[in-house]
Amino acid sequence: MKKVIFRNITLVSAIFIVTFSIMLITNYFQVRQSSPLQTEIIESLKELNIQNSGNTELQAQIRQLDLMARKAYFVSMDHLITGVYILIGMLLVFIVSIRLYFSNYKDIPEKELDPIDEWVIKTQARKYVGFTATGMAAIALLFVVLSTPFLKDNTDKPKEEPLQASLVAQETTTAEPQQEAVVETIDQSEPEEETIETPEPAVVETEEPTISEKPEVKEDVKQETVPEKVEEVVSEPAKEEPKAVVAPVNTSNFNAFRGNNSNGLSDAKNVPTKWDLVAGTNIAWKTAIPLKGHNSPVVNGDKVFFTGADQDNRILFCYSLNDGKSLWQLKAENIPGSPAAAPKTTDDTGLAAPTVATNGKQVCAIFGTGDLICADMNGNKLWAKNIGVPDNHYGYASSLLTYNNLLIIQYDNSNESKVIALDMARGDEKWSTARQEKITWSSPVLAKVGAKEQLVLMGNPAMAAYDPDNGKQLWREEFLSGEVGASACSVNGIIYGASEYASLTAINGADGSVLWNASDYLPEVASPVATASNVYVATSYGIVVSYDAKTGELKKEQEFDGEFYSSPIIAEGKIFLFSTDGIMHIFSADDEFNLLDSFETGEKVFATPAFINDKIVVRTEESIYCVTTK
Amino acid sequence: MKKILLIISALLMQMAAFAQNRFPKPDFESGYQYPDINYAVPNESLWLFVDIALLVLLMSFVSWAVIKKQTRKPIIWVSVISVAYFGFFRSGCVCSIGSIQNVALSLADSSYILPVSVLLFFILPIIFAFLFGRVFCAGVCPFGALQELVNIKNYRLSKALTTALSVIPWIYLIFAILYAVTRSSFIICKFDPFIGIFRFGGDFGLILFGVLLLITSIFTGRPFCRFICPYGALLSLFSRISIFKVQITKQQCINCELCHNACPVDAIKPPYDNKVKEKRLSGVKRILNYFIILPLLIVAGSVLMRYFSDDLSRAHYDVRLYDMIQQQEENPQNIMPLEVEAFYGEGKTVDELHTNVEKIKADFKFYSTIAGGFIGLVIGILLISLSTKRTRKLYEIEHADCVACGKCFDYCPQNKFDVKTAKLSI
Amino acid sequence: MKEDNNKKSPIERRKFLQMLGKVAAGGSILFVAGKLTTRLNQQEAGYYWQIDPEKCTQCGRCETHCVLNVSAVKCFHANKVCGYCDLCGGYYRSNVKELNTAAENLMCPTGAIKRKFVEDPYFEYSIDESLCNGCGKCVKGCTSFGNGSLYLQIKRDLCVDCNECQIAKVCPSKAITRVPIAMAYNLKDE
Repeated sequence: MKKVIFRNITLVSAIFIVTFSIMLITNYFQVRQSSPLQTEIIESLKELNIQNSGNTELQAQIRQLDLMARKAYFVSMDHLITGVYILIGMLLVFIVSIRLYFSNYKDIPEKELDPIDEWVIKTQARKYVGFTATGMAAIALLFVVLSTPFLKDNTDKPKEEPLQASLVAQETTTAEPQQEAVVETIDQSEPEEETIETPEPAVVETEEPTISEKPEVKEDVKQETVPEKVEEVVSEPAKEEPKAVVAPVNTSNFNAFRGNNSNGLSDAKNVPTKWDLVAGTNIAWKTAIPLKGHNSPVVNGDKVFFTGADQDNRILFCYSLNDGKSLWQLKAENIPGSPAAAPKTTDDTGLAAPTVATNGKQVCAIFGTGDLICADMNGNKLWAKNIGVPDNHYGYASSLLTYNNLLIIQYDNSNESKVIALDMARGDEKWSTARQEKITWSSPVLAKVGAKEQLVLMGNPAMAAYDPDNGKQLWREEFLSGEVGASACSVNGIIYGASEYASLTAINGADGSVLWNASDYLPEVASPVATASNVYVATSYGIVVSYDAKTGELKKEQEFDGEFYSSPIIAEGKIFLFSTDGIMHIFSADDEFNLLDSFETGEKVFATPAFINDKIVVRTEESIYCVTTK
Repeated sequence: MKKILLIISALLMQMAAFAQNRFPKPDFESGYQYPDINYAVPNESLWLFVDIALLVLLMSFVSWAVIKKQTRKPIIWVSVISVAYFGFFRSGCVCSIGSIQNVALSLADSSYILPVSVLLFFILPIIFAFLFGRVFCAGVCPFGALQELVNIKNYRLSKALTTALSVIPWIYLIFAILYAVTRSSFIICKFDPFIGIFRFGGDFGLILFGVLLLITSIFTGRPFCRFICPYGALLSLFSRISIFKVQITKQQCINCELCHNACPVDAIKPPYDNKVKEKRLSGVKRILNYFIILPLLIVAGSVLMRYFSDDLSRAHYDVRLYDMIQQQEENPQNIMPLEVEAFYGEGKTVDELHTNVEKIKADFKFYSTIAGGFIGLVIGILLISLSTKRTRKLYEIEHADCVACGKCFDYCPQNKFDVKTAKLSI
Repeated sequence: MKEDNNKKSPIERRKFLQMLGKVAAGGSILFVAGKLTTRLNQQEAGYYWQIDPEKCTQCGRCETHCVLNVSAVKCFHANKVCGYCDLCGGYYRSNVKELNTAAENLMCPTGAIKRKFVEDPYFEYSIDESLCNGCGKCVKGCTSFGNGSLYLQIKRDLCVDCNECQIAKVCPSKAITRVPIAMAYNLKDE
C-alpha cells in the first residue's frame, strides 16, 4: 500500500520536474535574450533622441520601452530563481520517494549466472583500447594536418593563396595515406574478432597500433618543417604592408592644411621659385574669390578646393587646377542643428577659417557655425551635419584632416573640447574622445611615429597624441598656455609644438617624453616646420629662426619687415614663406638656412599656399591664383 | 618585422592618468557628511576552517563505518551532508578534483603560491585513500554523493567497454595537468558538469551534461566517477595498496554470489579459476611483447603530442592574443577586438609578448612531450594489466575501483547484522 | 620472470609488490606534501579574486562571463573621490540635453544608480547593489569624463571563489587577480 503511494508520488513529481524544467529552460533563454537590457531598439531610439532633442513623443516611447525591458528582465530573473528552488524541492521529493519505493529492493543475481570468462573480457577490452588509441591518434593527426593550413589562412593575405593552396594540397596528400592506413588496420581487425578464442592473433593485432604510429613519426618530421616555411612567407610581406598603407603620399596632391598629414612638408617636384602677379610672370591663372575666408587652398588631382563664408552663405568651392574655372560649388544649407544666426566672429578669423580636407574620394568642409558638409569629387553632396555650434570668441579655426577614410575634427571650444573622427563617405561617428584642453585654434597633425601614425593636437595647456584608429590618448604633455593658434609638426617620430608665451618643445612620439624646450622666438599664427636636423619658426613680428632639432639650440635668426601668418612649407629642400604683405621668402632648408630669394608677389597673403608638381596655388585676400613653371 | 614590433611598442597609454581628479572635491556648505559605506568581507577563513574540519570529520566517519562497522547507513547521511554543504552551500569550490591543477601548477612553477586550504583538499583524501581506500569518493565528494543519492538500479555495462573507458580519467588527468602547468586553463573546473547544478546557473551546455550524467546515474552507478573523474584515477593508485582495506565481510566468503550485482562500480570480481586454453608460453610471450611495445607507445605518444603542442598552446591567452595582434598588424582594423585594444593600452611591446609566447610555446613543447609519453605509458600499462591472469577463489573487491560505498555489506549473508534484513526482503 | 616457481610464489610476490607500492605511495605523499609545505610559508597566498580598478577597461565582460546568473561584480562608488557633479558622466549618457531622470538620458541599464540632491550644485550618487549587474557602463562614463569615483569590484559575499575565475580568463586587461584576504577590496576612497 505504502509502496503504491510512493510510486504515485514519484511519478507525479517526475512529470512535474520534466514539464517544469522545459518551462525553466525556455525562460532561461528568454532572460538571456533580454539580459543586456538595453535592446537594440531602445538603444537606437536613444541615439535618435540625442540627435533631435525635444521630441516628446519619442521620449515617451523610449521611457515606455525601457520600463518594459527592465520589468521583463527582473520578473523573468525572479521567476528563474524561484523556479530553480521549486525544481530542487521537487527533485528532493522525487529522490526521497523513489528511494523509499526501492527501500527494500535487492538486486539479487539470477540463479543461472552467465559464466563470466574474465579472459574473454580482458581480450576484448584490450582490443577496444588498442583501437580507440589508434583511432584517436589518427583522428588527432588528421585534424592537425587539416586544420593547420586553415588556421594560417586567416592571417594570410590573398596574395599567398596559390602558395597556400599548394601547401594544402601537399599536406592533404600526405594525410591521405594516413587515413588509408587507419582504414586498413580496421579492416584487418574484423576477421580477428571472430577468432577471439585463439589468443595469438591478439598479439599481432595489438601490435598494429604501434606499427601504424611509426609512419606518423616520420611524417611529423616532414610536417614540422612545412609550417615553418609558411611562417616565413607570412612574415615577409608583413614588413612591406605597413609602408604601403602608411605612405600614400601622392606628390601631386596637397590634401589638407599644410599638406598631406598637415606637417608643412610637400613632396612636390619642380616647384616654381619666381613669379609676379603684376607682370604676370609664371602665373597660370588668377580668379577673384566670390566669398571671403581665411582658409587655405587644397589641391587633389586637377581640382582646387577652398571655402568662403559670410553671415548668410557658407560655400565649398571647387576650381580647376588647369584654368582656374569654377567646377562646382556646394552650399552648406538646410542642415539640422545649424544656428539661425551665425555666431559672432572677429574679422581676422571669420566663419571660414578652417581649411577643407580631402582623401581623393570625398572632400569635407567645416564652418564657424559647426556646419560640416561633405561632397564627392564631382560636387554631389554626400552628407551634412552640424556637430554643435562652437562657442568661440574669435571664431572656430581648426582645419580638417583626413586619415584613411576618417575625417578628423579638432573641436576645442569653450562649450566643449573633443576630437572626433567621422566616416568620410557616410558621416557616421567612428570615435570621439573628450579632451581636457581649453579652447584652441590650431589644427590636427598626423605624425608618423614608426610605422603607426599618431594624431597630434595642440591645446591649452597640453599637446596630446591620439591613436587615429580609435581615438585613444597615447600621451599628453603640458607645456602650452594662452591662446594656441599654431599647429605642431613632426619629423622622424619627433613632434615639435610651439606657441607664443609658452615654449617650443620637442617630444618623442614613441613615449611622449620631452626631449628639449626652447623659448627664444615663438610663433603665434604660423606653424613651425621641421627637417631631420632643424626646426624653423616664423613669428608674427617678422623674425624667422632655425633651431637645432636635436638640442633645441637657437641656430640662426633673420629679421624682416612684416608679419608671418601664413605657415612655412618645405618643398624640394626649400622653405617657402609668405609674409602678410605678400612678399615671398625662400630659404634653404638646411643648416645654413640662407635666404635664397625674396620677392614681391602683389597681393596680401594670410593663407598657406598649396604645393603640387610644377605648381603653387596661392590664396590672397581677394583672389586665388596658380603659379607654374611651365 | 622587428622594427614594426618595436614601433608598435611605443604606443603607450596612460591608464593611470584617468584616475586623476578632474573635478575638485566639493566644499559643502550644508554640513554634508560623506555617507559611511562598509563593504562586508565575510569571515572566509572561518569557512575554510569549517571546510577542512568537515572534510576530515566526514572521511573519518566513512572510514569508521566502512572498515569497522561495515554498514552503509551513515554513508547516506554523509552524502546528504556533503551535497548540501560542499555542493549547494559552498558552491563546490574549491574541490579536491580541481585542486590537482593548483598543486600541479605549484609544483611546476615556484612563483605560484598555493593556498593552504587547497593543499589540504588535495592531500587529505589521498592520505585517507592510502590508509582506508577511497572513502572520500564514498560520500564526502559532493559529486560522487550526488550520483550515489540518485542511483536506483545498476544496469550492467559491458565489462570490456567499462575497462576500456577507464583510460579516459587518466588521459583527462594528464591533459588537466598539462594545461595547468602551462598556466593556460583549468580544464577540470571549466568542464565541471555538476557545478552548474550546485550554483543554480552557469553554462547551459554543461548543466545539460550534468543532468544527463545524473539521469544516467539513476540506472548505472556513478558514470562521472568511473569514466571521467581524474581525481578518482589518482586515488585509485593509492587505494590499490591501502593499508586498511574494505572487505565485503569479515567472515568467510561462502561464494553465494549475492553481492555480485550490488556493486555500482563493478568492483567486485567473481571467482575465476585459470582454465586458459592457451599454452603458458604464449601468454608469457604476449606480456613480453607488450613490455617491448610499451616504450614504443611512450615514444609515439611523445612525438605525436610534441607535434600537437603548437595547437595545444592556443589554449593559452597570450598565444591567442599574439595571433590577434598579428592579424591586426597585417590587416589593421578600425574596430579592434577588446583584447588587442587592451594590449595596446597596457603599454607592453609586441616584442615582449612575442618572447613570452615563444616561451609558452617552448613550455608547451616540453610538457606536451612528457604528457604524450604518459599517455603512451597509461595505455601500455593498461594493455599489460589486461594480459595478466589472476586466479581467484572467492568474491573479491578490486580495491582500485571500489569507492567504499558499502552497498555490498547489506547483501552478504555472512554479515550477521544483515542476515535478518536479507531474510526480510526475501 | 621466473616461471618455474610461479606455482607457489604468486602470493608472496604480490605481497612484496604491494609492500613496495605502499612504501612508494607513502613516500610520494610525504614528498609532495613536504615540498608543497615549504612553499606555503613564503607569503600569504592570494585566494580571493578581485579587480584592480587601475587596470580595468570596462569592457563589459564582467556582466556576461561570471558563472553566477547575475554577476558578482558590482559597481562601487567612492564618495570621497566623487566630484558630486550635476552632469555626471556615469549617471547620464553622453550628449544629454536635459539633466533629468528620464529613461532616455540615463546611462545605467537597470537604474541602479541613485542620485540625491545635496546642495547647489552638488548631487550625491549611490549604487543600489541589488539592481547592479556589473556591466560597467557608468564606470566607463565616470573614468573617461569624471574623477573615476565609480569603479568595479567583486563583491566578496557574492563571489563563489571559483578555482579559476571565468571573468579573469577573458579579461582583456588582466585586471582580475587573486589577492589575500587582507586586501579583499581595492577601495578607492581609502
